Parts: sequence; structure tokens; C-alpha cells
Amino acid sequence: MIHLAVAIAFLPYNTLVVAAGVAAVGCAAGVIGTFGVLRKRALVGDAAAHATLVGVACALLLTGQRDLAVLLVGGLLSAMVAIVLLVLIRKFTRTRDDAATAIVLSVSFGLGITLISGMVSRGIPGSGGLERFLLGHTASLTATDALLLGTVSVVGVLCIVVGLKEATMVAFDPDFAAAAGWPAATLDLVLIALIAVMVVVGLPAAGAVLVTALVVIPPAVARQWTERLVPMLVIAGAVGLLSALGGVVLSSLAVQVPTGPVVVLVATAFLILSILVAPCRGILWRTRSVSGLSSVSLTKTEVGAATPRVMERKL
Amino acid sequence: MPRIVNVVLVLSLVGAAWNNSKAASPVRVIATTTVVADLVEQVGGDLVAVESLMADGVDPHSYRATPRDIDRLIRADLIVANGLHLEGKLAELLERIGRKRPFVAVGNAVPKDELLSIGNDLFDPHIWFDAKLWSYCPSTVADALSQLDSKAALHYRQRAEKYSKDLLELDKNVRRKFKKIPQQRRVLITAHDAFRYFGRAYGLEVIGVQGTSTESEAGLADMNQLVELVVQREIPAVFVETSVSDRNVTALIEGAAARGHSVRLGGRLYSDALGPAGGGGDTLEGALLSNVDTIIGALRATSTSQRIVE
Repeated sequence: MIHLAVAIAFLPYNTLVVAAGVAAVGCAAGVIGTFGVLRKRALVGDAAAHATLVGVACALLLTGQRDLAVLLVGGLLSAMVAIVLLVLIRKFTRTRDDAATAIVLSVSFGLGITLISGMVSRGIPGSGGLERFLLGHTASLTATDALLLGTVSVVGVLCIVVGLKEATMVAFDPDFAAAAGWPAATLDLVLIALIAVMVVVGLPAAGAVLVTALVVIPPAVARQWTERLVPMLVIAGAVGLLSALGGVVLSSLAVQVPTGPVVVLVATAFLILSILVAPCRGILWRTRSVSGLSSVSLTKTEVGAATPRVMERKL
Repeated sequence: MPRIVNVVLVLSLVGAAWNNSKAASPVRVIATTTVVADLVEQVGGDLVAVESLMADGVDPHSYRATPRDIDRLIRADLIVANGLHLEGKLAELLERIGRKRPFVAVGNAVPKDELLSIGNDLFDPHIWFDAKLWSYCPSTVADALSQLDSKAALHYRQRAEKYSKDLLELDKNVRRKFKKIPQQRRVLITAHDAFRYFGRAYGLEVIGVQGTSTESEAGLADMNQLVELVVQREIPAVFVETSVSDRNVTALIEGAAARGHSVRLGGRLYSDALGPAGGGGDTLEGALLSNVDTIIGALRATSTSQRIVE
């Protein structure tokens, strides 16, 4: 433990800043993402992330500034609009959850790219390469960015801690929650909004596709190890945190290794390990136990539904 | 009989006027970047109407064509590109349209052995801030324009020759300016490697945070290495570019500050695009001189202040 502390103290400044920022996001994304994965909404975050592009473009158009804070506020607003649309589509049409998510994701992304292309061809200063906002720039996080990421992460986790009972109810049995007189629809919206906030704020730290991985993989890992919610939240948070730290440190060991993708690869390593060796659900465990005797339910793991897209998207 | 002569005379006059008015309508040229547009304008003068596909302050590595762009390209009399894969996402489109429309990539005019290789038969495309390399390019533009407008061939050739001479003069001028900076201070750190030819020509060591194209992402180890270098060599200033995000450079400054070395933002350099029309940086000559003054100002200001401290 002391060795670790000493090792961390000797890390270069930029590594420390990036590690702090990404670790905060990793931890909070794991905790909040747990509800997304349980609710089979793994891709809500992805939709929110891609919806930011519209807001980012509008923010630049209105203010003329390419400041991270300005762009983030714009992105957050448009992500919220997208989330509300998502909920409305589900409520007032017969479109299912996954289809509604896909619609919001692709439409908002298309709108964003159209806006940015239009701005570029009209020569609006600062609009060149704006779509790369979605790719993130992990290695160049500054202390201010890390502080922002940390604050939002803490607030996000606090929200979950305070509203644990409500969140659990809505995540597992929204119909029962509604029948019992809970404002289920509002709570659901709040939960989705939390995921969206987390993803949007995590964008500079990892990029759209990778931050989705941070919201999905740690809960999927945690699901392998436990059947209960609170341990799952803790494990997911820990896995997110460790993936972030491990990825950042690993990528700082060799030149020309992009940081964000390595974080996701470390998380994936946790996932593979868990799929293999986790008690009860792990493959090794299952092959060891006599077939037919163990009555462990194996079919409905969230893992299958939540296999993340870990490839870097080419824009 | 005299009447017929008159008629013929009038007709021939009308014909001459018709010819003249045809010659007066300018050759419509589309250039890919503002840098290339400037080159065409210098060579063509009033006889061409040149437009740049990408506006000023736009990053050519990531620029994608819109349908309107394709329309503009198809309608142009001549398309002029930088080539050497500068227009990364446009290359394929340019090649396709280039088979049907007159097309010239000025980068091909530079002798291969003077280009900097970046591996795999690819070359660094940022040739324009080495005025001597760029002076190879006007003649190809003149040739292409002459084929379309053969009557003005002499005009184009003379202008191209004059512009090449101006560029060589500029080259000498810039060399002289850099002599004032001591050799060990001549380090140029910018967001991406757009200044390697510039550095080679004028004796600056050039280090880019991001690599030759803006499409690659800097890793954390690259960032740490760069901070180390800035601190070790006491580099006084780093620079950002007008068409590239300055986040990497900001992180670099912060990292160096944490090590107790204050490195300043030396200023904004023109790299892949020129400045807005009417500003000092709207021609290559203006932009190059502006860069040189920014760099010399930043690198020299600190050296005098350090001398005072000493």
C-alpha cells in the first residue's frame, strides 16, 4: 500500500491529473451505469453522447467561443432534450425501448454532423473538426477539467446514495413502483438524466463510444460476481475506478498509446476475467459443477445484452 | 464595294470585341485551401477568379466535402490542390473529379528528394512555410492556367516567375531574421507537426504534440515526454495554431508549471489555413512573416528577461 502511494506520488503531473479525472468518471459511471444496465438501457448513454453534438454546434454558433465549459453546457442541454424525446417516444408511440434509443441516437448525430458541416462550409471560425469533440482527448485533460469531472462524479454518486431506495424500485419493477404510488415516470427520467449527465461530462475524458463502455462494462463485470444491488454498485464503482487508473498508468508507460482506448481495454480485461472465474456464473465454475445439479440461472445475464462496442469510431 | 468593306470592317471589329470580352471573363479556379488559393491568385492576377473550398481557419486534414462543394468543383475551369495527402478526406473525391476536369496538385512540383518522408511512401504535405519549396509551385499553376487560356500564357509565366523570385527573396529575409535567435533557443513546439519544412529551412527544431495529421491522438506518455523536454531545455514558449484545437498545448503548459518551469503561450501561428481577407495573414507572405515575428518575439522576449534576472 505504501509502495503504491509512493509510486503515485512520483507520477508525472499530467499522469496524475488525467488519472484523477478519469478515475472519478470511471467510478461514478460504474455506479450510475449499473441502473442503466439493470434497466436494459445500456445505450441510453450512447444516445445522449451523440446528441451532444447538436448542442456543441449551437453553443459555438451562439457564443463564438470554443471553450470547453461553453461547449459542455450546450452539449448537456441538447443531450437532455434528446433524453426527454426518448421518453416521449416511448410513452406516446408503440416504439420499443431499443428502437427509440436507436432513433434518438442516429437522428441527433445526423443533425449534429449536418450543422457542423454547414458551419464549416460557411467558414465559421473554430468549427473545423468540431465533431472530434465526440472523440475525447484524455491525454490533454487539465486540472480544471479534472476538477469538473470529479465534482460531477461525486454529485452523481451522492444522488444515487440518497435516492437508492427509489432508484432500486424503478430499476427493478417500474410497474409496481407506479402502482404503489411512486412517481415512477419522473424517477425513471431522473435516472436516465443522471446517466446522460455522466456521459456528457465524461466525453472529454474518454469520447462518446468509450464513455459508453465505462457506463456499461463495470456493471456487467459486477453482475458476474453478485446477485444483490448494493454489492453490485460497489463492485461496479471499484471496477470503473481501477480500469481508469490501470489504463491511464499503462498508457503512460509507452509513447503513442492513446489513453482513452487503453482504459476501456483494461475494463474489458476485468470483464473477460469475470466471465471466466466468477463464482456461480463464471465459465470455469460452471464446467466444474456437475451439470444438472446446480440450479444457477445462467441464461439471463446482462452481459449478452450489454456487450459494448469498444472500437474507436471513425468519424 | 466600299460598303462591303465597311461591313467587313464592322464585323471584324465586333468579332474582336467579342473575342476580347471572352478573354476578359476570368478563369474560374477552385483551390482546396486558402494557402493554395493565394498561390493561384498570385500567378493568375486579374485573369482568374479563385475561390477556396475550405474557408480560413479550417483544418484540411478532417475536412469533408459537402454536396455544394462537389458542385463547385465540377463547375470550376480548374481545380488546384496542395496534394501530398494534405486533403486527407478529400483525396479520393479530388482524384475522381480530377480525371474529368483540369486538375493540378502543386505539391507534385516539389522534387521528391526535398520532401520529408513520413513513411509508407507518404510525405509531409505542409510545404508552404518553406518559401523556397513553395517557389517550385507557381510554374505548375502557370502551366495549368496557360492550357486553359493560351492567349495569356506569357502573362501567367511572367507572374509565376516574379512570384517565385519574391518567394526566394522572402526566404532570404526570414533566414536573416532568425539569425538573431541563439541556436539553442530555436525550438518550436506546436499542436501538430505542420512546421517541419519550416523548421528545416530556418534552423528550428520542431516538435508537434499531436503528430503530422490532426487526426492522431496524443497519448499520455507523449505528453509526459514533452513536459520533460520543455522543463529540461528551459523552453520559454510554446505555440498554438489557428486551425487546430489548443487543448494539448494548454495541458503541456500546465504540466510544465507543476514542475516549476513557466512556459508561456508564445502566440497563435498560421498553419494549415491563412487568416481572414483584409487581415495581415491573408496571403502566404503575410502569414509566414507573421509567424516568424510571433516566434522570434516569444523566443527572444524571454531570453532578454532571463538575462535581466541573471
